[in-house]
Amino acid sequence: MPRCVVNKTMLATLRKLADRLISLSALAGTLGLIFVTLVVLADVIGRAFGAPLRGAQDFYQMGMVIIVFGGMALCDKLGGHVAVDVFEDHFPDAFNHWLNIFAALLGAVIFAGIAYTVYDSSKLSQMLKLATNIVRMPKWYFQWALSIMALITAIGMALRAVELALSGPHGRARREFGE
Amino acid sequence: MSGELVGLIGLAVLFVLLVIRVPVALAMFSVGFAGIWALRDLKAAMSLMASESFTIASSAELVVVPLFILMGNVASVTGMSGRLYDAAYAIVGRFRGGLASATVLGCAGFAALSGSSVASALTMGKVSMAEMDRFNYDNRLSTGVVAAGGTLGILIPPSTGFVIYAILTQQSIGRLFLAGVLPGILLLSMFIATITILCWLRPGFGPAGPRTTMGEKTRKLVGALPVLLVVILTIGGIYAGIFSPVEASAVGAGLIIVIGAATGKLTPRTFWTAAKDSVVTTAAVMLILISAHILNPFLALTHIPDLVGTFLEGLEVGPITVLALILLTYLILGCFLEGFAMLVLTMPIYFPVISQLGIDPIWFGVLVVLTLEMGLISPPVGVNVFIVKSVARDVPLARIFAGVTPFWFAMLGTLIVLIAFPQITLILPNTMMN
Repeated sequence: MPRCVVNKTMLATLRKLADRLISLSALAGTLGLIFVTLVVLADVIGRAFGAPLRGAQDFYQMGMVIIVFGGMALCDKLGGHVAVDVFEDHFPDAFNHWLNIFAALLGAVIFAGIAYTVYDSSKLSQMLKLATNIVRMPKWYFQWALSIMALITAIGMALRAVELALSGPHGRARREFGE
Repeated sequence: MSGELVGLIGLAVLFVLLVIRVPVALAMFSVGFAGIWALRDLKAAMSLMASESFTIASSAELVVVPLFILMGNVASVTGMSGRLYDAAYAIVGRFRGGLASATVLGCAGFAALSGSSVASALTMGKVSMAEMDRFNYDNRLSTGVVAAGGTLGILIPPSTGFVIYAILTQQSIGRLFLAGVLPGILLLSMFIATITILCWLRPGFGPAGPRTTMGEKTRKLVGALPVLLVVILTIGGIYAGIFSPVEASAVGAGLIIVIGAATGKLTPRTFWTAAKDSVVTTAAVMLILISAHILNPFLALTHIPDLVGTFLEGLEVGPITVLALILLTYLILGCFLEGFAMLVLTMPIYFPVISQLGIDPIWFGVLVVLTLEMGLISPPVGVNVFIVKSVARDVPLARIFAGVTPFWFAMLGTLIVLIAFPQITLILPNTMMN
């Protein structure tokens, strides 16, 4: 079998896997948002009846971590991060193509860095037994979750860089990811 | 190498990264990280990366961001903007330029639900543009009014612009929301005055719509009542001290979901889409905030904010002139940069100067947000103009920019009035929340 066909098949499999991970991460983020909305509402309604939800702030603070990093990979996939595109039309296609690859790689490195450093600091949280203020939820669980979701974002971005590099300035990946 | 030199190199690299379309958050993040590494060490940079990522993502007060975004998205998918527009249309539609005024009023109502300018322009554009076309409105007026009216989204509370400003400068979100009310109403009035003058000078611009009966008026107003009640409950709850901003955002989102479900407009599928979109938008906003918190310590280490402060003090001009100079830079930057990015990029430099000069931070916040709004309709970037273009595909971009120009001047007029009379901004927060 020619090598490029193997590469394409492998890349397609990787993309499928990455897309599933991105969807899973976004699912967690969306469920997190629904959970946070319900928690705050339950707290407000409960308070009106003299029974506020104990530890509501703990729940919605940690829920926020899942919302924010859960949506990160999908946001990147949909081209949702704010960029200044005033000069795009003034650059040649090939230059724009390499800029896209550079931006994707830079993002991959940053998110891999976030994943690593947050995981590293979770060890300290675990050692010091850091927990939320009221219901004492271990913070390192949420640091792990953040790390995993940041890693998924990094994988998605790295894969996009590879796809862009292989597809050329007018390739499929460029159009597919809305750049 | 001195801190100042590293800072200047960092800012130059940041500028280059922005020009070559690296997403704003990634550009700020990488420059902040590399700068701290250069001025301190790798360990300090990595430690900041870990702590800020988790701390900002788990910030209790920032929970308002996804919840208000959810509220706006659900309001948008359930067509609540349409009901607001219908109510305004029933009341003012029969006057010359009335449909345009109804659009602005609808934008203001929707702004009070969504807090987003882009969402306001998009949803109101879809609702009102076809109607204005039907009554032969000049497309400069119809597109201009939607693009400009949409900008009310970040001035009329709840506004994501105010939330971000509050987080960056440690100000009260409630006070900022309250401070935005009168300037929002003033700007709304200026827009309606602009429409009236335009239609008076050129009657063909906005012909009068059909008269509506009292029964129709009442029916349309009753239709919009639940939405208006949500706005009053949400914003009023914060000011009355019943809810914190976080609680108000959840109550608002909850009520909009209940109304949407009760009226059959919100299905599980549309709700899921709105929630997922909210998560994606939240991720984009929060990544910029995390990046700002990586970049800010770097700028502080370089002493560049101090240098800017010393330079402005050296000019030997009064605080108002300094304020005007700062706002002028926002007007210029607004032609090239997205408003939110501009806010996080400049605040670490400008805010210490403002504090040093004794300028009220709440007043400054409102002026800055209004100036950012002007950037939304300034060429060549003008995000709202592009949003309107996506709805009115057959109208050339130059014509839309021509249409927004009178409204841009109306905003400039409002800005001047607010600078001249700070009490318009400060009277509500000072009397109600002091």
